[in-house]
Amino acid sequence: MTQAEAPVKSNPGLFKRNPPIAGEAEAIEAAKNGDPEAFSKLYTLHKRRVYTLCLRMLGNVSEAEDMTQEAFLHLFRKLGSFRGESAFSTWLHRLTVNLVLMHLRKKGLNLVSLEETINPSEEDAPKRDFGSRDPVLASSVDRVALERAVASLPPGYRMVFVLHDVEGFEHNEIATMLNCSTGNSKSQLHKARLRLRELLRENSDINLTEGEAA
Amino acid sequence: MPLPEDINFDTLKPEEFERYLPDLFANGDGKVSQDPRLTSFLAANPDCAALVSDLETIAAHARSLFQVSADPSDKVWQNIQSKLDSGDFEDDEEAESA
Repeated sequence: MTQAEAPVKSNPGLFKRNPPIAGEAEAIEAAKNGDPEAFSKLYTLHKRRVYTLCLRMLGNVSEAEDMTQEAFLHLFRKLGSFRGESAFSTWLHRLTVNLVLMHLRKKGLNLVSLEETINPSEEDAPKRDFGSRDPVLASSVDRVALERAVASLPPGYRMVFVLHDVEGFEHNEIATMLNCSTGNSKSQLHKARLRLRELLRENSDINLTEGEAA
Repeated sequence: MPLPEDINFDTLKPEEFERYLPDLFANGDGKVSQDPRLTSFLAANPDCAALVSDLETIAAHARSLFQVSADPSDKVWQNIQSKLDSGDFEDDEEAESA
């Protein structure tokens, strides 16, 4: 079993909700036997999910495309080891998450000690909010603004936020993936949400100002 | 800071609340605003209530990011195909030992 397949447990979030895909099982078996058309079908069926996952985790189109490519090349090599013990989409999701994490480690982003290595600088850290009288966020947050804010998070914050709030992993699963404590995962998630709150407020201030100027 | 077992929610101060908030979110299924132990505290501390409301809104909307997805550009599949055809892709032993 490769590192890319090993550490992540089954994900209760994203893929559990997906029904089996028609023709997928046949395509998997044919692709295992080297049928290029079948592999192309698997790519067509799963490219969007894999790419979206990479994009959320990396926040960068170019890197996300590179990692999507790597994920499917890795899939091609390892498809023979897929035994069907979990859903194929879950297995592919796990493989992709671990490839992205390895990619980040290779880039020098040390995920072993989140607090020490990828905490943002003090200036970037979320400010305390008590005592402030800023308006609360609207109950409906603009999706584009949220995506933009997530993309601008420091890597460590973004990783934990995406894995927990977007992908649905539990803190103990994230701790296993990132080799950190569950307390560290909770703390990073909280700081990420605080930072997003600030970013979304700034965004809404800008919109208000633009609206007044118009 | 982990939530102490003997915490007294009736005498909780905003600063303490802030320290315990990551655990309150993690332990309470993300619904701090609906935690009955905090009803009085949040009613008496509107800034804390606003913070909780905002963070719950952000977490709730994060899930909507699932529903929107994008396709990679055509060049991704072209690159994959080209590498498969030529056999020119790294055997990822490094990935196995990383």
